[in-house]
Amino acid sequence: MGREVSESCIDSLLTEMVSTYCNRFYATKPELAARRIEAIGYQVGHQLSERYTMERPRFSDHLEAIKFICKDFWSEVFKKQIDNLKTNHRGTFVLQDNRFRWLARMSVDPPTENGGLPQDPSALAENEATQLMSMYLYFPCGIIRGALSNLGISCAVSADISSLPACSFVIRIKA
Amino acid sequence: MIVCVAVVGHQNNPLYIQSFTEADDALKLHHIVHCSLDVVDERVNNPKKSGPMLNETFLGLLYPTENYKVYGYLTNTKVKFILVTTDLDVKDADVRNFFRRFHAAYVDAVSNPFHVPGKKITSRTFADRVSSIVKSFGLSSTV
Repeated sequence: MGREVSESCIDSLLTEMVSTYCNRFYATKPELAARRIEAIGYQVGHQLSERYTMERPRFSDHLEAIKFICKDFWSEVFKKQIDNLKTNHRGTFVLQDNRFRWLARMSVDPPTENGGLPQDPSALAENEATQLMSMYLYFPCGIIRGALSNLGISCAVSADISSLPACSFVIRIKA
Repeated sequence: MIVCVAVVGHQNNPLYIQSFTEADDALKLHHIVHCSLDVVDERVNNPKKSGPMLNETFLGLLYPTENYKVYGYLTNTKVKFILVTTDLDVKDADVRNFFRRFHAAYVDAVSNPFHVPGKKITSRTFADRVSSIVKSFGLSSTV
């Protein structure tokens, strides 16, 4: 029997984790904070993949493992499947989620009126928002990397925000 | 009767090995487990022609010795489970059932946030659970 987890608790925990690492532990070193958050995600993904692959046959190639991430793994974690999977057949996969659950409730500060800036204020605000948001994506990136590496695929995962709440994860498998 | 169970990591590093005999034959059992690792590798690298069984986690009987039968199981995460039993007429279904429960116990043990992946499993809860699974092995068929 599956256990249930309160979704709002998870949301708050993620928000708190990111803010604690970014503003308290590593306030001056955002790269270090990102690495720490990614490492937590890695451990989570590592353990989840062990559990979710329990009743299934072994994967014969990388694509099968990626498909497992897109379908079963994503449904277990986010209650939906990945919306779009692209690959160049040379070890790069792009997983697109049109409504990523952990970004769905994020809001961006409206651009503040500040005439003295040389740049377009709305573009600047958007840029800043993307930066802030990307901090929240290190955790799911780590989850994907942890799950795949436990399945024997070492890879690097990065995330892109195209337009909220859509986002895509880029998986590069190391040869 | 099950005399030994073992969990072996993906680099053939022992994660958990436990024998269930009174006699002082732990070394012999370790040797049997050790030998079985090669058989597992062989099975996985040269899969039999049988189609549907191709990538099943349950590897079946690895090899029989005079006194023991050795069964294997390989998870998706390349962790091997080895079972050594003295029963010479074992039902496949019993072994499958054993491995399923054993796998569940293993998953719970490694999901412990204090467990370090790739290190030996030291959890007492896991040990207790394993010995209760081992005790109940084969009982279902007699009831």
